[in-house]
Amino acid sequence: MEQYKFPGTLDALEPIRKYVEGVAQSAGLDHKATYKLCLAVDEIATNVVLHGYEEAGLNGDLMIGSSMENDNLVIELEDHGKPYDPNFHALPNAEDLAERLESREIGGLGIFLALDGVDDIQYASSAKANVHRFIVRLEHEPESTT
Amino acid sequence: MPLEMKSSTEGNTARLSLGGELDGSSAPAVREAVDKLLQARPERLVLELEKLTFMASAGLRILIFAKQKQQNLKIYLLKPQEIVIDTLKKTGFYQSVYVVDREEDIKG
Repeated sequence: MEQYKFPGTLDALEPIRKYVEGVAQSAGLDHKATYKLCLAVDEIATNVVLHGYEEAGLNGDLMIGSSMENDNLVIELEDHGKPYDPNFHALPNAEDLAERLESREIGGLGIFLALDGVDDIQYASSAKANVHRFIVRLEHEPESTT
Repeated sequence: MPLEMKSSTEGNTARLSLGGELDGSSAPAVREAVDKLLQARPERLVLELEKLTFMASAGLRILIFAKQKQQNLKIYLLKPQEIVIDTLKKTGFYQSVYVVDREEDIKG
């Protein structure tokens, strides 16, 4: 997998979205699916920069790449910050989401949107790196029989 | 696309026009602009979003910030794009703000 490297700062968000947008369009995703994938990667990359790197007092890069696996588009985001599995994060529940803004908790919205934006987010952390894998199932038009 | 921002206040209405992409890197400047606009304690905050093409959760947190800073504030979102409305609905923010398509609908 060819990887692109960006510094692990918030300035990397825009070029990362551009990269994801290009890959999604090449894979044939429509505007909405492309946007949701960009949003998912953006939210996780933001968390990695703010919590994995800055808050933890660490510096490092963000590496991004993509591949097709069977009928799935897979985006891989790799970092070397403090490990953080989005699947074990407390998400806002229905009651939280119905709460008036005056009394809303600020946290959890980003991961909520990330998980909503793709079919799956797989996470693995090793001594070598933390890797988020964003999976989007590609839907194929039924083949014409005429 | 870098974020474009323009603010103004007329009577009891504060306005902030946003174009481009609102993400974690551009959000602090927007939050600061909202903070400044709210110092005059306007009745309404109108966010003109027609040209906003991307909004991450950092944008939602600015809405929370505004409402928590001034509880009686009416927040109007003027002409947000369909995909931004989608995010507002999914996260329950749609009910807490006035989403309008026309300037004439900003009242009260």
